[in-house]
Amino acid sequence: MDHGEHNGNGKQQSWRIPTVNRHKDFAVSGHMVFPRDKTANSECVVAPRKEPPSAAKRLVGKDGKLLGFPVFHDNRTVEEYEGLMPAPEILTLVEVARREIEGLDYAAVMNQLADLGPDGRLLLYKRDGKLLRYELFEDPRICKDIPRGAVIHNLEQKPADVSGWRVHEFVIDPKGCLGEVCTRCSRVCPENAIHLRGVGADSFCEIDPTACKGCFICWVECARKAADCILIDGKVFDSELRAAHFGE
Amino acid sequence: MRLSMAGNTAAAWGFRLSRVQCYPYYPITPSTTCSEQIAAWVGNGDMDGVVINVESEHSAASAVIAAAKSVRAATATSSKGLLYMVEVLENGSGSSLPFTIFVGNRATGAPINIWGDNQDAYAVRDSGLIQIFAANAQEALDAVIQSYRIGEDLTVRQPVLVNLRGFTGTHTYEPVDVPSAADVDSFLPSYLPLEPLFSPDQPVTYNAMLAAYYYRRHKRNQTAALRNASCVTENVGRQFGEKFGRSYGKFDWIGDADADLVVALVGESFGAAETIVSHLQGRKGVGKIAVLRVRLFNPFPAQEIATRIYKANTKAVVVLDEGLPHGDVFPPLALRMAAALQAHLGTQTPRLASVIGGLGGSDIRPDHFQTLFNLAANIADGRPYRREPYWLDIDEDPILLTDEKKVDQKLWKRYGDVWKAQPILDAYHKPLPSTNYEVRIYGRAGQGAITSAVFFTGAGVEQNLWVVTKPTFGSERRGAVVHTDTLIEQGASNKTRAFTARQDLVCIYDDTILTSPTHAPTRDLKPDGTVLVNSSRYSPARIRQLLGLGPKASVFIVPASRIAHELQLGSFFNMVMLGAMHCVCPLVDFGAAMTYYEKNAPRPKEANLEAIRRGYQETTDKELPAVELPAVDARAEEYFRWRPEEESLEEEMLRSLETLRG
Repeated sequence: MDHGEHNGNGKQQSWRIPTVNRHKDFAVSGHMVFPRDKTANSECVVAPRKEPPSAAKRLVGKDGKLLGFPVFHDNRTVEEYEGLMPAPEILTLVEVARREIEGLDYAAVMNQLADLGPDGRLLLYKRDGKLLRYELFEDPRICKDIPRGAVIHNLEQKPADVSGWRVHEFVIDPKGCLGEVCTRCSRVCPENAIHLRGVGADSFCEIDPTACKGCFICWVECARKAADCILIDGKVFDSELRAAHFGE
Repeated sequence: MRLSMAGNTAAAWGFRLSRVQCYPYYPITPSTTCSEQIAAWVGNGDMDGVVINVESEHSAASAVIAAAKSVRAATATSSKGLLYMVEVLENGSGSSLPFTIFVGNRATGAPINIWGDNQDAYAVRDSGLIQIFAANAQEALDAVIQSYRIGEDLTVRQPVLVNLRGFTGTHTYEPVDVPSAADVDSFLPSYLPLEPLFSPDQPVTYNAMLAAYYYRRHKRNQTAALRNASCVTENVGRQFGEKFGRSYGKFDWIGDADADLVVALVGESFGAAETIVSHLQGRKGVGKIAVLRVRLFNPFPAQEIATRIYKANTKAVVVLDEGLPHGDVFPPLALRMAAALQAHLGTQTPRLASVIGGLGGSDIRPDHFQTLFNLAANIADGRPYRREPYWLDIDEDPILLTDEKKVDQKLWKRYGDVWKAQPILDAYHKPLPSTNYEVRIYGRAGQGAITSAVFFTGAGVEQNLWVVTKPTFGSERRGAVVHTDTLIEQGASNKTRAFTARQDLVCIYDDTILTSPTHAPTRDLKPDGTVLVNSSRYSPARIRQLLGLGPKASVFIVPASRIAHELQLGSFFNMVMLGAMHCVCPLVDFGAAMTYYEKNAPRPKEANLEAIRRGYQETTDKELPAVELPAVDARAEEYFRWRPEEESLEEEMLRSLETLRG
């Protein structure tokens, strides 16, 4: 995609901003920011900025004062970032085998990687495409089922079955459900346990019994209060009971 | 680039060169000036980062942990500030997040005490942080840069505490080699966030609740990662040496390789210990001695230290702690040493005694280590010794018995026999010769004594001299008598930080101090020393008489207050005194120093430079010609005599009418 990276004079007017995002970086063009895929070796390299990001300089008024206080400039600038070594490239044994890396002692590295087993990684510290040094990384974990820092990857580590968490069984009655014109329950469900089934007038929402934790939110938020299309333990609860249950 | 700077500024340089991107802080003495320096650099554009002014250390720790998930982060704190962070800090180590906290070690009170000891660092030793103790400003700068390599190593990923003793470390001005940004950039790669926040493709949850099974498995991993820091610190210290010429390890062993007597310690008091080892080493009657200085306090390099001591076949170890045991067997360092030796050496364990000293800014002087080595020699001889900690500088509970009458009766009943069996070995107490040029400045708080000493140091360092200035910060208010010490090393470059407290030059900024009964400013002056006084009313002969100086001492006066007044500097005469100091101190070249002052003198620049020149020219050892006192201002005199409480109603009304008329 070309995101207007050329202005009227035909000169390129965009630059990259530093980001911690692993997959995207951001191109700035005028006042617009465009995400784009990161290229392999460009991680964390910061474009040198000519103008220092000095709050003092930006905020100084015409009289040379900031909030009435005089501001002194010592004409020093931020040290250039060009020499900054980028974060290392991290490769597995298989990836090392597939790549041609200049200045790497393949025999030794492959041997060491093989010793470390499938958890072994090669870290390549490069500058200007040249290999400065490399390190071998062995996973320090002893219990491999726990991620570093006990960080949970929300998309990968969903509990398989939470049906044990709930006390009541929740079932949506397809006859009472408004289907795709509503879908309110599926949008409010905190566990993403309610999914739309079917199309058009035949569509209805369905609760995934392994993902439902029994929080009552769909039951409270259901648009069809009078019809009470959500059955709890197979029973229809009336609105008065609902009011009593939640003190509404 | 060698500059003169204090420990705090050196740590700030470390953060700047490490390209810290986020720096939340809450100021606390004695680490405030580190954060102030960072904020100033970020404010004027010298440093590209974000400074967050938070409302407490608790928030500073929370912010630094949150930032470390995505960028390189740092903060600085001390004492109660660090204790206030404790609750949050374990979130950093538990979540495996690398960041660095610079700690200006300070007593934790109560009672309130702003001066240095290690109690704050000891209090967080169980929070899972890597702890490095720096011994001077240079080491603080280097340790900050290395701390990011250590903490961000993929096998570690843990937060780091860089410790430097408050005031004697953080506020001592000394020469520091600042590495170039390009060199640091090729040593320290940019930050690699493993699990960044706000990554929409890979959302993560930090600090989720884990039940016992997963919790214990996670803590097993965390402990393994912290252990890895030990070997990584060694490697990073070695690589740092290859790049910058200053190597670091987990601990230092200074003295005889096969020392029988070892004193173990952490931090800044290493400077004094080093001096005494080189002074005593190889003397007749002195055993084989060494100082074991632990740099990496956490994770404690137990096996390496035990191996080193086993190889040296050490007989006795005395451990100096600047902190309290609080009911434990020993204070933390002695406890770790004892546990390490016992666990690894078993029956081969040398005898170990613990000493508590340096609390709340108490001096740790070279002569203290003479006592400690004497104690170690006695213990190695098989004499009885105490199994509970000894104390430094407590007259009622001395380490070696000098005056039985002073000793507390209860303690005498318990330890009398031990004291009687501990001889004082004269060989260990040979006084340290004073080979360096030492200057002491006496002034009143607010007169700028420290500022002029700092400028003097800067000029000396620019001329490649080894000049160290150690200001004394008290709880005094403006106007109280304060002093500051400066050391200029002569001869071989040992880079010493140890003051012998015997001065070659004493500068007195205020001639009222001469007659003060509570201060004896020339008590520690060497017999052939020099006294310089700011005075226009006392002659040198009279000053010699007032201070009771010997015939070999020389006395100089300079009418600094009058000169400052003539240059319209008001009462800021410290630059005049700076010039006068150059006149009487031959070691720092005045011409070269002037070029330094021309670049760095404070505003108003021209007047201050003129003040330095006139101070240099008008210093004399002759009596000054009498000057005419300014004419008495009758109106002012009347005003000073006015006592409203003695005024009658009639007089008051008349005065009000006069005021109305103007």
